[in-house]
This record gives sequence, C-alpha cells and structure tokens, in this order.
Amino acid sequence: MRRTASFVMAGLVLAAMPAGAQEGGHRIVLRDLVRTFGPGAYQGRNNGPEQTERFSRKVKIGRDGRFSLSNIAGDIVVTAGSGDEVSIEAVKRTRGDRSELARVQITVDERGGRVDVQTDHEQNRRDRNGRSDHVSVDYTVSVPVSASVDLHSVSGTIKVTGVHGSLRSETISGDVTITDAPKLESAKTVSGDVTLSGITTDGDLTASSLSGNVRAKGLKARGVDVGSVSGDIAVSDATCERLGVKTVSGAVEYAGGIAKGGRYEINAHSGTIRLLLTNPAGFELNANSFSGSIRSELPLTIGGPAAQPGDSPRNRRGPLSNHSMRATYGDGSATVVVRTFSGDIIISKR
Amino acid sequence: MHPNETTLNEYADGSLGAAERAGVEQHLAACASCRQLVDDLRDILRATGELEPLDAPVRAWPRLERAIRMEREHATRVTAGPHSGDAVSDPADAGSYRTYATWLAAAAALVLAAVVGMRYTPVRRAEAPAVAPAGATASATAGGAAESIETELRQAEAHYENAIKGLEAIATTERSELDPRTAATLQKNLAVIDQAISESRAAVRSEPASEPAQQSLIEGFKAKIGLLQDTVALINEMRKGNEAGAARIVSGLKQKGN
Amino acid sequence: MTVDLVASIQAGDVDAFEALYRQHSAKIYTLASRMAGSPEDGEDLLQEIFLQAYRKIGSFKGDSALGTWLYRLALNHCLDYVRSRRAKMNKLTDTLDAETSFEPAARRDTPIARMDLERAVERLPEGCREAFVLHDVEGFDHKEVADLLGIAEGTSKSQVFKARLKLRGFLGKR
Repeated sequence: MRRTASFVMAGLVLAAMPAGAQEGGHRIVLRDLVRTFGPGAYQGRNNGPEQTERFSRKVKIGRDGRFSLSNIAGDIVVTAGSGDEVSIEAVKRTRGDRSELARVQITVDERGGRVDVQTDHEQNRRDRNGRSDHVSVDYTVSVPVSASVDLHSVSGTIKVTGVHGSLRSETISGDVTITDAPKLESAKTVSGDVTLSGITTDGDLTASSLSGNVRAKGLKARGVDVGSVSGDIAVSDATCERLGVKTVSGAVEYAGGIAKGGRYEINAHSGTIRLLLTNPAGFELNANSFSGSIRSELPLTIGGPAAQPGDSPRNRRGPLSNHSMRATYGDGSATVVVRTFSGDIIISKR
Repeated sequence: MHPNETTLNEYADGSLGAAERAGVEQHLAACASCRQLVDDLRDILRATGELEPLDAPVRAWPRLERAIRMEREHATRVTAGPHSGDAVSDPADAGSYRTYATWLAAAAALVLAAVVGMRYTPVRRAEAPAVAPAGATASATAGGAAESIETELRQAEAHYENAIKGLEAIATTERSELDPRTAATLQKNLAVIDQAISESRAAVRSEPASEPAQQSLIEGFKAKIGLLQDTVALINEMRKGNEAGAARIVSGLKQKGN
Repeated sequence: MTVDLVASIQAGDVDAFEALYRQHSAKIYTLASRMAGSPEDGEDLLQEIFLQAYRKIGSFKGDSALGTWLYRLALNHCLDYVRSRRAKMNKLTDTLDAETSFEPAARRDTPIARMDLERAVERLPEGCREAFVLHDVEGFDHKEVADLLGIAEGTSKSQVFKARLKLRGFLGKR
C-alpha cells in the first residue's frame, strides 16, 4: 500500500517537472519535486520587526577534533578557546513572519571526534530574487585551539581568529578575515575581500577573491598562491619560497623577502606591480611588459643567461629596454618573473 | 511470529549463528512470505556476486594522458630554476615560437577535453570538434618569420576559442541557477577579462613577435577559462540543491604560477 | 615487474603509467561508479584517482602490491567524495522510497538482469549504498566497512540489510 502511494507521488512529480528536466534520472526528479512544491505563493512581509530564535549546543570533540560548518546566509565567527569542546551559538533572524524561522534547520552531526553543522533552508526553496526565505543565521563558535576547521557560506562574512588546526574558509559573497591561523590552507570569496594576518605555516596556502581585494600581512609559508580578477593584491611582511600572484585589472604589491632558490611569479594585465624587497637572496629577474614601464632601484647586473641563436625577434628589444628587463641580483639563485600587459613594474628595496 | 529482517538477512547470507539457524529454518518451512523474502535476498546476493567490472569509457585514457602531460610540463616550469635545461616548458625562456604554439594548442586541447567531460548534464555537453594539437608545428622554423608565427598563434587561439565557447554555452544558458548578485559579479569580471583579452589581441596583431603580447593573451585566455569553469561548477552545485557545496567552488584564478 | 613499472612511472614514463591504467582502470572505474551512484560521476572520479596516483607514485613503498595501493587510494578518494556530497536531501529520498515490508514481492520468474541490478544499485540512497557496495560487492566484512565509513559495525549491518531490501523492492516486477 505504501508502495502504491509512493508510486503515485512519483507520478505527480513526473507530471509537474518542467520539460527538459528528465535527463539525469532519479536525483533530478527529487530536486524538481522540491522546486514544484516550493513557495510560489506566500512571500510574507519582509520588512517587519526582526524576529530571532537562538540555538545553542556544546559538543566534546577532543583537542584535535574536526569542525565543519556550512551556512547559507549569515555571518560566521570562529575563535579558539581552551578545552576540548566546540561551543556553538546561532541566531536565526528574519524580518518576515516568525514562522519562517522554524523552516530553517540547524543540524549538528556528531561523530567520534568530529562535528559537522549544516544549515538547511527547508526544501532549499529558492525564489528568483536570490534569497530563499529571508532568514539568515549568524554563528558564533568557539573551537579547541588545535581543531581543524572547515567553513563554507554562500552569502555572509567569515571571521576566524586563533585557530591553529588546519583551516579552510570559503564564501561567495562576503569578506573572509583570518587572523593567527598557522595552518590556513585556503581562504576564498567571490565578491568580498580576503584579509589574512599573522599566518605562519610550513605548507602552502591559497587566497582568492574574484572582485574583491586580497590582503595578507605577516605571512610565512612555503608556497603562496593569491589571485583576483579585478581586485588588488597586497602581500606584506612576507616570507615564502614560492609565490604565485595573478590579477587582471588590480594592482599588486609584494613587500617581503626572496628566499634562496625560490620562485616568484607575478602576473597582472593592467595593474601596477610593486616589489619592495627586504634582504632578498640573490635572484634572476625576468620582467616583461607590453606597454608598461619597468624600473628598478635595486643594483642589478643587466643581462640574463646567454641569448640563444634564433632569439633575434624576441631580443629585438634587448636585455634592457623600458619594456623588458633581464637582470641578476646577487648570486641569481632565485627566480623572479614579473609580467604585465600595460601595468608598470617597480622593484625596490625596503 | 516472524523473525526480524536482520535475522532473515543474516540467514540469507550465511552469517547467522548455528544456534539460531534451526529456529529460522523451522519458521521458513511454514511461512511463505518469509521464504519468499529469503529467496529474493539470495537471488540478489547471487546476482551481486556475479557483477563484473564495468569497462572504463574509451575516452577516459586520452583525457587522463593529456592531464598528465600538462602536469609534467607545469611541474617542470614551476620547479625550474634559472638554469633549467628544459627549454620546452617555459615560453619565456624558449627561443622557439613553434614550441610555444604547441604548448598553447595542447593546453587548449586539455581544456576542451575537460569541457567534453563536464559532469553537468549529458545532453548539454559541448560537442568537441576534433582537436589535433597544432599540426602547424611542422611548418615554422625556430624563430621563424612573423607571418607563420601569427598563423600558428591564430590556430592555437582557435583551439582556445572553441573551449571557451563550449563553456560559455553552458554558463550562459544555465546562469539563472545562480542568484542575481553572484551572476552579476561573475559577469562583471568576465567583462574585465574580455577587455584584457581584446587589448592583448590588438597588441599581438600589431606586434606578432612580441613575447609579452603573446604571453598576456595566453594569460587572458587562461583567466577566462578559469572563470567559466568555476561558473559552471558553481551552477552545478547550485543545481544539485546543495548551496553549501557551492561555497566550495569559489571563483578565483587558478594559481600555482601557470 | 612492478618494481620496474613504478620506477619508470616515477621517472616520468607515460607509457608505463598507461600500462598501469590499462591493468586497473576497469576495477577502479567500477568501484567509483557504484560508490558515486552514476557512471558519469564514476568517470570523473576515475580521472581524479589516477591523476592522484600519478602524483603520489613517489610515495609507493612497495610494502604492498601496487594494485592494492592503488585500490586503497581509489577507495579513500571515493569515500571522501561520497562524504562531502552527502546532502540532507537524503531525508527526502528516504520518505519517497517504498518502506520495506513483509509483503511478498511479486513473483519474479526470470533471473535478475545485470543491467537492472546495476541501475538498482545506482538508485540506492547514499548511506546504504556505500555500505552495500563495500560489503556485498567489494567483499569487505562489516568491521572493515565500519572502519572505512566511520560508523558502528551494527550500523554497517543495518545499512547493508536495508540496501538489500530496497534492491528487492526496485527489482520486484509488478
């Protein structure tokens, strides 16, 4: 009997599915079920007084436990505390009807040494104005200092301080601010700024924003990859062995050291690239721009490795022209490659 | 009273203790529905045991091979110091445009392969035109004349354009899956990249031999493809109804110095 | 000779890597497709797994067979994939699917066709699918499955049994 009922339900779903949604099989059927039974009608008032509902949970995960949080709308603040438990405080907010709050579910999945928190907006209703049910959830979490943390949000800021376990923080529209996180692995956003400070790690880290700025201050890592399309990139007080920086229309400033034998590659299209080097180890410089100018205040020996036969079209500009510079500083052990299309390149000593 | 499902399952797969087995067998002798259940379970277990490995699709190896070759070239570039002997991988160090164009075509072919293999929806996969890595490699001599360089570059560009078109098709038709603000940000940044690409292209036309011009054009294509790939991946996640997953697929330029 | 193969691959010999691929791709693809629930996802996972194997071949110590090392890598990758994809949609899936019961399934006179079984396995909801694939298909015992999936041994049993009963429902003819 139940089986028949579910068959009928499936029939309803099939009838309700928009054309073209049939491919993909079983899973798509369910998603579209969710959409057809979505709100459509009741939008609710959206500008009433703010209604809130609190949520609170503490879970023991041990000092090296793992914590993950997945949110959709709302801010996330994570700090490190002493002890071995995770303390989660959440506030659901809406300016619509109070009943909307109950439709957002916070699920805490505890499993030996790890806690995974999911924020589910019931039936994942999505109206085309981008926000599903006008409810946001703000989280304030305290984790054991060595816990590893994984945070995801869609629209909301992320702020993390003092987490010493491995850390990943990603959001789509919102700023990401990370302080004192030695094992930061990645900090990303699409339209927000990424601000990192006090990061010391043995490993590699990635930070990117699409249209926002990326600022990293007080950074010590092995490999650093930083990128933006239209935002600026500023890396200061930095020590790393490998650096990859890319932006299209933003400007780049790198104020830090050059490690012996390291590789540093910076690319911008129209932005200015500024290198302010602190006690750099020797490096070989390969700086190129199509129409931007190149200027160095460091004492450089002009000329790189011997030119190859057949090089002539490329070396038409010579080893030093105002658009191209191949030079050596000190013992030339590290490699610094700086390229722009129209942005200027300025290299100086700090 | 019927044995519970756990017991019947254990009986069917032979993991039930001897002590309980007798009791179950006695019940089964008298109960048709439990007997049917056990028979069905055994059928399933038998069929499952006979399942044979599926063959990987034929296209899987070529995709993988391209990815590996790209990895190797990239790894050589990234770890190469100033005295690296591998002249092939970094166009800035190589004296040969021919090698440069080959690399470009190979990169485009890889991206195309990725487009074909997109997990999104089978129906929407971009038809991949037959991509042959630039046969033009044979024609130019090292540091050859400006015209042949431009031809090679144009051919390689065509490969990139195809890849971009495929991704664009997916991204534009399905962009309604994203919320308008995110879509607008992606669009705006795509415009920034397109602007950069058209400037670079103009520069390459006017000075075909200019390595910075070529390099910036390549970077522009890469940035565009990176953005489109991230957009499609974002749409994928949104469509699966898992908005939490979408935050993981955040757009950024692909890093690691490429 | 495995030792030569590994050494060749480590030295960058792509042909050697292809030999490895040809030898193991079917098994890995099968595992990935069944764990992930679709051949398309399985194909993507296959690509990722072998790329990872290529990158990590340097860490192969020779203390197990190369195939075993590769299989472990694949299994871990599939498990990571499945875990990270586990969505709350599962709840909805469970309520829609038929509850198991003691009603006799319609008589099935023909043997179970392989394609039908493959499709039925794909339809299993996540959770019980992984346990089923690992136990009934790949042959791990419940304790091993429990370790791999990070669940209790009792849970492994109940998930596997639940999967079998669901398959029975999917495969029963009306």
